[in-house]
Amino acid sequence: MSPPNATKRRARQPRGHARTERTQIAVTKRLARLTEPKDDSSKKALAYSKFYGGKVGVAPNVPVRSLDDFSIWYTPGVAAVSMAIEADRDLSFEYTGRWNTVAVVTDGSRVLGLGNIGPEGALPVMEGKALIYNYLGGVNAVPLPARVNGEEELVSFVKALEPSLGGVNLEDIESPMCFDVLDRLRKDMEIPVWHDDQQGTAGVTLAALFNALELTERKLRGSRIVLFGAGAANIATERLLVESGANPKDIIVLDSKGILHPEREDIDQLLLRNRWKHDIAIRTNGDRVTGGLKEALVGADVLVAAAGQGPNLIKRDEIELMNKRAIAFFLANPVPEMLPPEARAAGAEVVATGRSDYPNQVNNSLLFPAIFRGALDVRARTITDTMVIDAARQLAAFAKKKGITRNYIIPTMVQWEVYPRVAATVGQSAVREGVARKKLSKKESFAIAMDVIEHSRKIMHALRKDGIIHDPPG
Amino acid sequence: MRIRKARKEDLVSVADLLVRVKRLNNEFDPLFAVVPDVKIRANRYVATTLGSADKLLLVATEGPKVVGVIRAEMTERLFYEPHKEGFITDFYILPEYRRKALGNEMIEHASAELKTMGAQIIVADVPSRNEIANRFYVKRGFRSLTNIFGKSD
Repeated sequence: MSPPNATKRRARQPRGHARTERTQIAVTKRLARLTEPKDDSSKKALAYSKFYGGKVGVAPNVPVRSLDDFSIWYTPGVAAVSMAIEADRDLSFEYTGRWNTVAVVTDGSRVLGLGNIGPEGALPVMEGKALIYNYLGGVNAVPLPARVNGEEELVSFVKALEPSLGGVNLEDIESPMCFDVLDRLRKDMEIPVWHDDQQGTAGVTLAALFNALELTERKLRGSRIVLFGAGAANIATERLLVESGANPKDIIVLDSKGILHPEREDIDQLLLRNRWKHDIAIRTNGDRVTGGLKEALVGADVLVAAAGQGPNLIKRDEIELMNKRAIAFFLANPVPEMLPPEARAAGAEVVATGRSDYPNQVNNSLLFPAIFRGALDVRARTITDTMVIDAARQLAAFAKKKGITRNYIIPTMVQWEVYPRVAATVGQSAVREGVARKKLSKKESFAIAMDVIEHSRKIMHALRKDGIIHDPPG
Repeated sequence: MRIRKARKEDLVSVADLLVRVKRLNNEFDPLFAVVPDVKIRANRYVATTLGSADKLLLVATEGPKVVGVIRAEMTERLFYEPHKEGFITDFYILPEYRRKALGNEMIEHASAELKTMGAQIIVADVPSRNEIANRFYVKRGFRSLTNIFGKSD
């Protein structure tokens, strides 16, 4: 039973026609600002979205040689396929495209830096995500923002989709609801469910951190780690760090009120409103440090910030409190909490952000297309934390082979050879974990991943070459 | 961890724990909104309890630190048997020390003390919507005895 206060908080603004006057004014203001977009990519996004009318669509996978073929693809021939699947549901993975289909689902409650903009507002973002899945991972991703009210409706909606999918990508769902949604769906569904804001960010952060630690001659166990921000990203990062061997007693997590510890004034509030934060408050911070970022950073080896827009959210004199050869990641998008030159000037040796115009881009797109490629090819029932950690290690290993430096700790996105490698690793991990329906060998996994990803590239190439997909105007 | 009677030196720690209980109750029920000077009142409340022969204040300690508190008073039911009540008014354990059977120990300890003070029945008062407390007492064989219904305009 959830306490009344929590239910009251969850009642949201109704979207669409039932807007209050105040919301309508805010939306109109924002729209007015947009008609004069400040930067180039915003201008292009508006113009090109209109020009193309959709970033992804449905394309046939089979030939239609004549209208007679429909008696095979549709009635009466298709009945035989349906009956076979009725007798054994897992055959749907063999006889349909379900094995390679992933729904990109959101309720639009926390989209990028924009907040609760609703499902229609989230649609362009989900389309973009689907495009990345398809281009980098060869996955048939379908954008599906849904008008659902609250956790129960969202969970029901996603569960109901299971029969047509190989996996689900949850996106842009507000915390702390997103934690419970992910946990419940992972438990109750027989296909992988993934919240990229959680596991994706945590996975790539881990990969970058593995190499940064090695570069600065540190071990994960024994390093003092500060996680600034206790939202989807860092809550997942804390869990994966501990599962990889980090000592929770050496981890300090901060939210907007400061360091999480068991005697903070609002600790009982946290028990009822955000039990993930509550759990972290009790398990971590063995020295029971209290206060804010300054207190946390004294003697810290690693800082992972996923807290909010910079560029001055974190100050130079705060980084200076860290140990020598400090590692600092600033993950906020589009403006990191601190810019790399500042951090370096303050003494940090290895710095990463989510931006492509600085070295060490911690980008989820390095991970989720490859993770799904690997999971889908073995028809995995779930993506376990171990699979994510194995994928992170593979990403790190790939970069290591090329030679890690303070400006290169994870692969860049143009190093396309990394995707099938990570996919193969994830497939093998799934087999070892006993969650794979199809037990492929590493060689098979790799070959299939290469094949499927190349297939996607070939399609893109052919469509552009034949002028079916035109280049944008101007 | 030890359980013992509270002393004057424990006043500040105990008051802090009581403030936490009141705030927790507020989380469950908006009609338990906490008064602004709750800290002062908690201090006074503990001070008067410490002096009283018919009141009980037990603390659980780990080293020098007070991690749990239970406060009770002896009351009389005017019309009903059994009429001597050991009435638990406040009970709180810091989150870090929960789920370690300390709650059980504290209740047992308090019940035993109250019985030596003459209690024939042990009762505990908790806000109806405090699910944690409800579950705790039911699990230990207590049942609801009286309901206070409230309405505010």
